[in-house]
Amino acid sequence: MRKISALLTTVILMVALVGVVFAGGQQEGGMEAAADDDTIVIGHTANNVGIDSYQTTHDRVWRETVAAMDGVETVQLDAGGDVALQLSQVEDLIQQNVDVIAIWPVNGDALVPGARRAQEAGIPVIIVNSLIAEEGYEFVEGFAGPNTYQQGVNGAIAMIEALDGEGQVVDLMGLPGYVTAINRSGGFHDHIEENAPGIEIIATEPTDWNRAKATEVMENLLVRFGDEIDGVYVADDNVGIGALNAMREAGVAGDIVMTSACMFGEGYDAMEEGLLYSSNYQSPAEDAINAVEMAVAVANGEEVEFWNYFETPIVTMDNMDEFERPNF
Amino acid sequence: MKRLISFFRRQPIWAILLGIIVITSLFRPDFLAVGNLLNILVQSAVNGMLAIGMTYLMINGYFALSVGTVMGFTAALTIGLQPLSIPVAVIIAIAAGAGIGAINGFFVAKAKVNAFVVTLGSFIGVRGLIYIYTGENALVGQNYDFFDFGASRVLGVPTLFLIMLAFAIIGEFGLRRTAHGRRTYAIGGNVEAAENAGIPVHRTVFLNFVLCGATAAIGGVLLAARLNAATPGLGWPDTNLMTIATVVLGGTSLTGGSGSVTRTLGGLLTLGVLYNVLNLFNVQSYYNLLLTGLVLILVVYVDSSLKTKRQQTFR
Repeated sequence: MRKISALLTTVILMVALVGVVFAGGQQEGGMEAAADDDTIVIGHTANNVGIDSYQTTHDRVWRETVAAMDGVETVQLDAGGDVALQLSQVEDLIQQNVDVIAIWPVNGDALVPGARRAQEAGIPVIIVNSLIAEEGYEFVEGFAGPNTYQQGVNGAIAMIEALDGEGQVVDLMGLPGYVTAINRSGGFHDHIEENAPGIEIIATEPTDWNRAKATEVMENLLVRFGDEIDGVYVADDNVGIGALNAMREAGVAGDIVMTSACMFGEGYDAMEEGLLYSSNYQSPAEDAINAVEMAVAVANGEEVEFWNYFETPIVTMDNMDEFERPNF
Repeated sequence: MKRLISFFRRQPIWAILLGIIVITSLFRPDFLAVGNLLNILVQSAVNGMLAIGMTYLMINGYFALSVGTVMGFTAALTIGLQPLSIPVAVIIAIAAGAGIGAINGFFVAKAKVNAFVVTLGSFIGVRGLIYIYTGENALVGQNYDFFDFGASRVLGVPTLFLIMLAFAIIGEFGLRRTAHGRRTYAIGGNVEAAENAGIPVHRTVFLNFVLCGATAAIGGVLLAARLNAATPGLGWPDTNLMTIATVVLGGTSLTGGSGSVTRTLGGLLTLGVLYNVLNLFNVQSYYNLLLTGLVLILVVYVDSSLKTKRQQTFR
């Protein structure tokens, strides 16, 4: 008899759990996935929500934006940085017959099969924040995220301004092979070459987005070129802080102009100290709102541009008080 | 009916699974949609492969922390070696998994190094191998036949799941009907008694480590077929622990001596269904993890209290 009561207890507990979950789900507002034809349901699988505050803010603003819209709901999933799980989530969203699937790829290559499957099922896909591999372009409606090439151009514009068009600079790029790194570096190179004959890029070095590696790379560059370096362009502020640590050690911080492609909180602080000349303000909130708007447009069957960028304005010491310190 | 109740008493995980399914379908009839159920099956295939070998090892009284990275490494090999032809790539991948298992097995069985330390070492070391082999980049399959195979179905059921199920049936048979299976139980139950009875303890433990490496590698092959790509992060960080959780949830004892592949299948499907259900209810993923953890503890508690009761009744 006690065995049965133990089993019963378990089942009752399960009911309670499911009940709690059920109530929670309803409060989130996404319960009736695809149940109502008038309601647009956006299925979203995010990269890795807990990993940094950019993604956490993105996730929160996404929910808030959808909640504020009439007739729009979202099924919000988190792949937790796992490509296999993300594919499963895409399959689940296809099965739930959502109106549009928005994917922030954990990995642009591994996502191609998922996008292909969604297209086969007749559900449009948009890619959010980070690009899918080029083979996957034919399976998606478009991309909503930052214009990373323009961020590189902005870094070059600021560099030309700061150096008055004359000098030798180095480029500390992100991880080779990744679109964001290639674009940020490419935009910088192209703009310098076309517009500033007096500026020479004497080295382009990968930092793998890693701060410690950035420090090491900058130390080596300082040994190699010494005070010949007039400017450093970095793939983001994290890399920039790494480079700055090397410059501090060598006693040249502030003598070398630094421009960056993407602003982080610590970069904001460095700018206040006058050690960072410019960066781009990439807001996770703008990123999320832009993506939700594109998803809704696609679900409504509207014609959309393939590339849907949100503004990532250039931040310098002059206008930095217009921007809040990033929380990431 | 009586047999069913007695089955549920012996393997309560299936009753819990049934409970979740019934309750969910009352709230969300679309849970029972064929497509949804098939999704759960195909998503369970890879983890199931890992859990089969782990079940042997755990009945034997050990566990391996390296299954996740072995899966990632062999998935990368399967994709990267495709130019040599698919069968060759698959054979090399499985051999690599069995080889890593053999290294684990040697150090544990022969050199008597603690299994936690050995498999922790290979967990980390194999991750290094993944980075070396992939050069930190995603490998993408060029052979769409392989990918189509991964997405294919036989009589409406996903092929990958059927492959896993076939291995599970063989695995259960091997445990119950072969000398190796009986030795595995005996050693897990009481090493000294097993040794005194003349059971080749070293060889059995070694074989189970090899087996566990090989099934993890087959899991890697299935994963490669599913993704048509392999990224350096595959299987990191917690695939190994989720595999152990799957086996424990099924009711196989952490200390060895009891358990079965059928139980593991119950644990596997329960985790798969639970995950699917929480997604259907649009539960935020953090709660998802929290609930999974709670269910794990709860089920093991119920199972162990039933076991105590069983022993009191039968002895």
